Amino acid sequence: MHLLLVGVSHRTAPVDLRERLDFQARGVEGALRNLTARGVVREAVIVSTCNRAEIYAAGDDVNAAREDVVRFIGQFHGVEPAALGPHIYEKSDLEAARHLFRVSAGLDSLVVGEPQILGQVKDAHAAAARAQTVGPLVNRLFHSSFGVGKRVRTETALGSGAVSVGFAAVSLAKKIFGDLKGRNVLVVGAGEMGKLTAIHMKSQGVSRVTIVSRTMAHAARTAEAIGGASAAPWDDVDAALSAADIVITATGAAAPILTKAHVEQVMRSRRSRPLFIIDIALPRDVEAAAGEIEQVFLYNIDDLQQTVNENIARRASEVERAERIVGEEIDKFGGWFKSRGAVPTIVALRHHAEQIRKSELERLAFKMSALPPEVRDRIDDITRLIVEKLLLTPTEQLKALGDADTINAYTEVVNRLFALSQGAVEEEPETRGEPSNVEPFRTGPIDRRKTGR
Amino acid sequence: MNFVPLLLYAAALPAYWLHFSRRQQAVGRTATTLLVFGALAHTFVIGMETMQIGHVPIVSPSSAISTSVWLLALGYLYTEMTTEERAMGAFILPLLVALQAIAAFKGGIEDAAAAPILQGPLFSIHVLSLMLAYASLGLACMIGVTYVLLFKEIKAKQLGFFYARLPSLQVLDTMNQRAVILGWAFLTVGIIVGFIWTPQARAYAATDPRVQAMSLEDPTIFVALVCWGVYSFEAWVARRLGWGGRKTAYLSALGFAIVLLNFLPINYFLTRSHNF
Repeated sequence: MHLLLVGVSHRTAPVDLRERLDFQARGVEGALRNLTARGVVREAVIVSTCNRAEIYAAGDDVNAAREDVVRFIGQFHGVEPAALGPHIYEKSDLEAARHLFRVSAGLDSLVVGEPQILGQVKDAHAAAARAQTVGPLVNRLFHSSFGVGKRVRTETALGSGAVSVGFAAVSLAKKIFGDLKGRNVLVVGAGEMGKLTAIHMKSQGVSRVTIVSRTMAHAARTAEAIGGASAAPWDDVDAALSAADIVITATGAAAPILTKAHVEQVMRSRRSRPLFIIDIALPRDVEAAAGEIEQVFLYNIDDLQQTVNENIARRASEVERAERIVGEEIDKFGGWFKSRGAVPTIVALRHHAEQIRKSELERLAFKMSALPPEVRDRIDDITRLIVEKLLLTPTEQLKALGDADTINAYTEVVNRLFALSQGAVEEEPETRGEPSNVEPFRTGPIDRRKTGR
Repeated sequence: MNFVPLLLYAAALPAYWLHFSRRQQAVGRTATTLLVFGALAHTFVIGMETMQIGHVPIVSPSSAISTSVWLLALGYLYTEMTTEERAMGAFILPLLVALQAIAAFKGGIEDAAAAPILQGPLFSIHVLSLMLAYASLGLACMIGVTYVLLFKEIKAKQLGFFYARLPSLQVLDTMNQRAVILGWAFLTVGIIVGFIWTPQARAYAATDPRVQAMSLEDPTIFVALVCWGVYSFEAWVARRLGWGGRKTAYLSALGFAIVLLNFLPINYFLTRSHNF
């Protein structure tokens, strides 16, 4: 069995094509059942978001599976193969796995490190599980990819740091005040920018938003637009400043409306309570020197933009670490994936041995019929144990094989030496829905311990 | 005997640092595990000494330091487990290792019979509350240090290493205040009990020059009172004067510097009264 990926993403396809290939709109589970019903692909998961439409599949013949999946995409969405051709990418086996790991890690996203993608990948797997189109191979693949996403999130700063001015302001406020619940926000100026930032703060749970403007009517209108905010007249600005924890200034005034002396005077009435001033007006509303006052944190629009730029740069610098984690996990997954190469041979070998044991016991059945049943059971146990022990080392050796060439050479030799035919027993272990090691017949305690089940 | 916990603390230190800088879960768990084993070993050491000499080892300077380190380690572990916040460990562990190293290398097990006047309950309360005070104030100092580091990054608009790793200023400030108030309370109890105990000891051991030297002129007692003054100011006055988190954080550091001064050079070399 091989792994296969066929898909388009924001890197290869324009938005109108991605829209036409949206599986979410047409029902992912139905699509999955359609695809596997064609008989070429045995397992499949569809990852469909607004930035990508990818099919991860498993099949015996990788070329046939690839052609079938591409044809399926065209037929399912009614897109001409010629229109699809230049935008589609195809990867197989470990390269397909590497791609999914990078997607789960957020490395392939439009905004690198964005947090939603891991959840979307999990949803995609859950949908395939509901459609019963998952099997041991894609199950293992997806569970490994969840691990990659989690590791990248906890061990790197790939997803950390705000990448928009609004989020930067909120994350700063949280770093100063901890929880924003119970905090008061004052917006000075009734403009659009101030309103948007206030709405952003409100969504983070601040308790009170007050709007002050030169024109009371403007303030009232903005307060209404924000919802749950109140307006105050310009004369009350000092009282509002003393009550506020976070001040957003966004007036169109030509000269600063808050001087250092003014802020100092306000701070006296506040004692030691910190004040976070976000000055998003251009030209600036607050004298830069006000930021020198103890317990006043003053950020203007340039400062916020600067931290955003730094965060974007930091995310870029974390890419390398995230890629290293992907590499480590690919090595782990690859070890498992390659060891599967010898599995059919192992299954056949053990099946062969069990057949011999059974037929010999049957041949001796007449002679043993005089023995009491418990003795016959004992003979059965002993013969089984002997077979187990004989096969233990060869099984382990075959499972530990590294690259594909070596595996082929070994399996060839084993097949010839024991005259094995694999087709007869291969169906047996490929039970759907659960990733597991393959066990052709009941295993004794020795084998169970060694394979770590 | 103090070397075993020292080794475990010293092993936990780089693990906490590594976790602070790399933020890998596994490293963090290793760090906590090492510290837990260190604290367990320390508990065992102190328990053994207690059984050997018949009271908690708090009389000689080295064992007093060791017991304080033990309390600080337990206090920190409690904070870490209740807040799930490991970042502070990177700052507390150096203090643990340094103080425990002094205790281990200065060495010497207490002699049970040396000072019969030290057997009473008042004396135990005196020393134990001061140890708890010092452990709590050590915690406050390190929290204060982290507060200042974060404060400077935000103020300078250089949001970097500490910004990404420390909890918010508000949380640090609250933790600092709680630790200072707790430390101040124990300090107060310890000093008051000391003053009650001294006249009794004077009467009991009239010939002991150390007991007769117990007055405000003795450096240990004098510095302890200065210390109490600093922490009283921080705990009850500073905020009313409008002192912000940064200034009070500096006060915590200053106060603890005085505590260390009392603990180390004065206790080992200068005092005439507290050298039992």
